[in-house]
Amino acid sequence: MPTIQLFITCLTDSFFPQTGQSVVNIFHRLGIDVEFAHEQTCCGQPQFNAGLRKDARAVAEHTIKVFENTKGDIVTPSGSCAHHFRHGYLELFEGDDLWLPRAKALANRVYEFTEYLVDKLNVTDVGAKWDGLLTYHPSCHTLRGMNIDKQPRALLQNVKGATLVELPNANECCGFGGIMSVEHPELSAEWLKRKISNLESSNSPTLVVTDVGCLMHIAGGLNRQKKKQRVIHIAEILNQR
Amino acid sequence: MSNLFFRERIVESINNPNLQTALDNNTERRLRGRALAFESIPDWRERRQRAHKIRADVIDNLDEYLNQFIKKNQENGVIVHRAKDSKEAIQIVLKIVNSLPQRTQSEEQETFVPLSDLRGEKVLIAKSKSMVTEEIELNHALEKENIKVVETDLGEYIVQLRKERPSHIITPAAHLKKEQVAQLFHEKLNIEYTEDIPTLTATARKILREVFLTADVGISGVNFGVAETGNICVVSNEGNARMVATIPPVHIALMGMERLVPNLDDLSLFISLLARSATGQKISVYTQLLRKPLPNQTRHIIILDNGRSRLQKSPLKESLYCIRCGACLNACPVFRELSGHAYIGKDKTIAPYPGPIGSVISPGLMGENFVHLAQASSLCGACKDVCPVDIDLPKMLTRVRAGQVNSNQLSVISEGAGLNQLTKLSLQIYTRLSTRPKLFAFSQTFASLITFLLSPFSQWIHLPAFTGWGYSKDFPRFGNKTFRSQWKHVTLSETKGLLHNQRDSSVEPAALPQSDINLIEQFTKELTAVSGNVYQTKNVQQDVIDFIKSRKIHKIMLELNTLDESLLQKANIDFTYDHDPQIRLGVTNALVGLADTGSVLEADEALHPSLLPEIHLMMLKSKNIVQSLPDAIHLVEDKNAAVFITGPSRTADIEMTLTIGVHGPKELHVFVDVSNSG
Repeated sequence: MPTIQLFITCLTDSFFPQTGQSVVNIFHRLGIDVEFAHEQTCCGQPQFNAGLRKDARAVAEHTIKVFENTKGDIVTPSGSCAHHFRHGYLELFEGDDLWLPRAKALANRVYEFTEYLVDKLNVTDVGAKWDGLLTYHPSCHTLRGMNIDKQPRALLQNVKGATLVELPNANECCGFGGIMSVEHPELSAEWLKRKISNLESSNSPTLVVTDVGCLMHIAGGLNRQKKKQRVIHIAEILNQR
Repeated sequence: MSNLFFRERIVESINNPNLQTALDNNTERRLRGRALAFESIPDWRERRQRAHKIRADVIDNLDEYLNQFIKKNQENGVIVHRAKDSKEAIQIVLKIVNSLPQRTQSEEQETFVPLSDLRGEKVLIAKSKSMVTEEIELNHALEKENIKVVETDLGEYIVQLRKERPSHIITPAAHLKKEQVAQLFHEKLNIEYTEDIPTLTATARKILREVFLTADVGISGVNFGVAETGNICVVSNEGNARMVATIPPVHIALMGMERLVPNLDDLSLFISLLARSATGQKISVYTQLLRKPLPNQTRHIIILDNGRSRLQKSPLKESLYCIRCGACLNACPVFRELSGHAYIGKDKTIAPYPGPIGSVISPGLMGENFVHLAQASSLCGACKDVCPVDIDLPKMLTRVRAGQVNSNQLSVISEGAGLNQLTKLSLQIYTRLSTRPKLFAFSQTFASLITFLLSPFSQWIHLPAFTGWGYSKDFPRFGNKTFRSQWKHVTLSETKGLLHNQRDSSVEPAALPQSDINLIEQFTKELTAVSGNVYQTKNVQQDVIDFIKSRKIHKIMLELNTLDESLLQKANIDFTYDHDPQIRLGVTNALVGLADTGSVLEADEALHPSLLPEIHLMMLKSKNIVQSLPDAIHLVEDKNAAVFITGPSRTADIEMTLTIGVHGPKELHVFVDVSNSG
């Protein structure tokens, strides 16, 4: 029986555990065993993106050590964490004979959740049902960093009862950008405003994302503006029966 | 360090509704234009990878290419200078300018539209747009020496009159509305207040034409230098760069030392990417290729280092691949809120290069003063996506943030450059937690308790604005139980599961069928689309003469071996082969036509008749129409100066409104000779 390692990501772990449970349920239905390495914490992307390489390295070394002792592909419900494993780690350990091969070995095992379903398992229909309109926000690192776009769209197309409508200017960043949303709140606010107004013009009550970073940012903005629309991770949609 | 001074400037931009409208227009129109322009080259992804490799090779072997380029130029009679920094570059310009003969009173009187503004200056310089001159602040240095320098790109002229810096590297006045330009021209140029963009453009044309014709020196930038042939390529839409490079007796071209391509074939690749990325055109109106100085002209090329050799040896090396198209500015959501004027240094000066590339090279070239700019990015990657040479800008930005700005090991810039101290400290604490799993789990439980106490009745916490996050959004409460605390491994039975093979049904877009569109038809379609006119004729001489007569024009400017002199005399049309700026119509032969862009090639003797008159007629043999630029580029090898012309002169510098005929001809008529004779 195939086994995968789940990298839950720090945000999903702390704020949205139900997303993680949905991922597990979907894999179980597909007959895939899911393991969870308890020592895992964060991939170190926040430190890396902020320029704190020494800190980013410490966290990356920890994560590499944790997963070196496990078997199977590593799947994560976040395009930006997957992107950090695949690209950030290689940048971080460039020129390091000891760590670069270990970072590469890890990077080669990592997949974003929808990418794994569609490209690795050849699954585009997980038998999910949803009633009503859905629209999709492609997260920056998922779309441009990982070149993943058809995969989540194909999965959503096959959700029974759901109609996928296009989000205007879908490819624009929502303004999260990790610490940028704290360092430059004014910029972040402008993009968030635009994202929410585009969501309103899509007429969809539900916005689907592949990254909980965007989720907590857009949902936080909707809550502040007292809007009715909700943001939901794709795993939770695909887990609906 | 605090970034408050920068945030204040950001808020000013966001709260300026005129600026925001202008920036939204810029973003939307440029991105749409770019996407459309790239549709005509379906292999653009492959092209940009090729372009990336070529630029990488040039930067890795820069000394060799530079030596080749310099040697070729010296053979071609061009005087080459090298400047290690701005100070040296300015000194060189001053030395050239100060060695010119002083203009005399009688020369002054020869000008036919006297301009009080330009009187009494010892030297007049006409300048076309060049980011390198912005970088070294050349105008400021020249003015200090009482040398008059006039910017001739319409947008650049506007910002010069306003005593501002350009807000965008391609459209310098992108931040202004037409009402502001109208008021400016009314005040500074003494014309009646008008918001009519063609009238404003015509006013600038009249004044700047005078500048071109009386200038002692023309200064331009360089888009590309060709190492193998020594050509410099300077593109423009308005025609001002052609004027400054071919009318004044002295031409000075300033070039960043990294702007080389190995040969003409490579150049044609970059030309196919540059205008598409910059303005959404297939090719700029004028693509000039200068090799030797014209008769009675002196040309200097000043090659500027100013930090580039240091950048070449640093982790930011890839930023030197940039071809200055400005696409990353247009795609960037940060630039969209800011405009170029808000990219300020710690000393409040405006960074010479804005946008994503600017946030890398401004600190890269000028150091610590600009490092905080790189923190203003979500690393969304829209810049990398549109970059015609595929520079990994998000990666470069993270390197600036990591303090990898100088190749110098003693660099004072630390990790987390430009970050607030509090953010830095929080992240360092988070590192401590993230490397100790038990402590990590404990702090999650602790945070869950705290956030529950902060907001017992809602999943969301209303944080105050000063926290940054609370400025525009609520913060989620930590889950009551984390995922890890709920985890129980479920063992599946072997038979369970739905997994079966299912192919993804989406398909790759099919390659476009190779069409056999007639070259003449394609040429006609493309040139007509950029406001040119094309006529097929079996009697080209007579048709051209009839056209001139229909316009009631009695004197024309001619290139040698174009129209039959006896036919002209019979039709009572006077003509001259000399450059006479009063004449309204010029006739030239086109050496070649390019079907896929509607361009025509002119060289040497045809340069002035194809530039100065308002109406330009061209005679083109149908057999000389080829498919595209790579088929024709080698024709320039033995020309002193050549230009690919694609339609009449145009500008979109005021509110991005297309206006025809700013400096070069307002009308372009191509007579395609289909008689198969000759």
